[in-house]
Amino acid sequence: MATVSTTSASFGVSLKPCFKNNQVTGGASTLKMVTAGWTKNVFPSLRTSRFIVCCAAKPETVQKVCEIVKKQLALSDEIELTPESKFAALGADSLDTVEIVMGLEEEFGISVEEESSQNITTVQEAADLIEKLVHKKA
Amino acid sequence: MSWLWLRCRVNFTMNIRCCQRNFCAASSPLVPVPLPSPMETHLWYLVPNEVKSDTLLNQYLELLSPCERENVFRMSGDQLRKRALLARALVRTTISRYQTNCQIHPRSLKFRKNIFGKPEVDWQDVDDRHLPPLHFNISHSSSLIACGVTMNSPIGIDVEEKQRKLKNNILAFARRYFSPYEVELLTAISDPEFQRQELIKLWTLKEAYVKALGRGFSAAPFKTFTIRFRTAMEGGIHVSGHRDSEAFDTVIDSFDDPKNLANNWQFALLDLAGSHYAAICTEKDRTAGGKGTLPMKLTVWRTIPFVEDECVSGTDAVVAIAGLT
Repeated sequence: MATVSTTSASFGVSLKPCFKNNQVTGGASTLKMVTAGWTKNVFPSLRTSRFIVCCAAKPETVQKVCEIVKKQLALSDEIELTPESKFAALGADSLDTVEIVMGLEEEFGISVEEESSQNITTVQEAADLIEKLVHKKA
Repeated sequence: MSWLWLRCRVNFTMNIRCCQRNFCAASSPLVPVPLPSPMETHLWYLVPNEVKSDTLLNQYLELLSPCERENVFRMSGDQLRKRALLARALVRTTISRYQTNCQIHPRSLKFRKNIFGKPEVDWQDVDDRHLPPLHFNISHSSSLIACGVTMNSPIGIDVEEKQRKLKNNILAFARRYFSPYEVELLTAISDPEFQRQELIKLWTLKEAYVKALGRGFSAAPFKTFTIRFRTAMEGGIHVSGHRDSEAFDTVIDSFDDPKNLANNWQFALLDLAGSHYAAICTEKDRTAGGKGTLPMKLTVWRTIPFVEDECVSGTDAVVAIAGLT
């Protein structure tokens, strides 16, 4: 286990970083991370939070997506959906997903390409895509 | 049942070694099955409602990799967790049956995804290196889980409950996702129930095809290809629902990749367990001489792994709709 000086993340021994132009100083074990390849595996949470900060959809959009998803999957009102809720974890199969996409298209007056619809796996992703498409339309 | 899941999750590491040692003695071992021949397809299905024993569920849980277990517990609610667990258990136990003398422990199988995300067996870790690779594909509804197996041919399967109702209007859905020809076909059906059934059947066929291709939904958007039924004799185009099992022709409209010509693939559509439509798509046997499609040679088992297996081909549980002998 080692800690990186620039952040507070730590990583397990199973990772095999390739050290390019790095210096590992004995006692302090300071590593300079220059390889992007495994960096992203080490800091998934940082990436996610950066993504959310940049591209957060309006709460109303998220709310509307939740309503449509709940209706499609016949979820009871007690079930709380969050932006991170994954459709698959809620029991959506591929037919549910395309029905959800269709419902979102009708609700927001947008058109979703097949490539994009494959990438909609959570409420947040759906909301972000909707905002992007609505913005494009305007 | 929720308490049980929690206990499983905490204790699974301790139970594993125990299970491996006593694997065959603990309950009925998995019945080994001969490999499918290159022209054969095998289909194994499991009905979640038939699995009631927590002990059995625990046994299945111990077969899963840590990653698979994590995925199971990420599901929302007991029913979805059970379904996710049974799906992985079905895949692992099914594939391990095909090893010689049941030597391969279902737990030791490794899986990976191809570059498009389609799951496949990672054979590197299997001891018997002379074993030709099997292909598999899995599908589930809320009440049935199925795993199709072939040798040397990619396979895609899809199962849907016959009673499944769309939340959207049927024709609106078809216009959004299906090809113009298919929309026309469905529009011509006046009875709404029959129309709904035909839509579901068509969905399973298209889904099975895309899964067989294994390149993701966007590689073959449903609108870009048509699946239609055509008898070899008449060469005409029928609305489905004809009595006799007939070969399919698939026609691809405006599809870019010449390597994936429609006539490389064959389909079977069946009424499974009285409750589901099941579509299976595999590559055609190229040695057939190009004279048309031979019907798919399919064998179907209903299973509760470690408990019972029943070959249901030729029974009411398997009723051919099209493409089968």
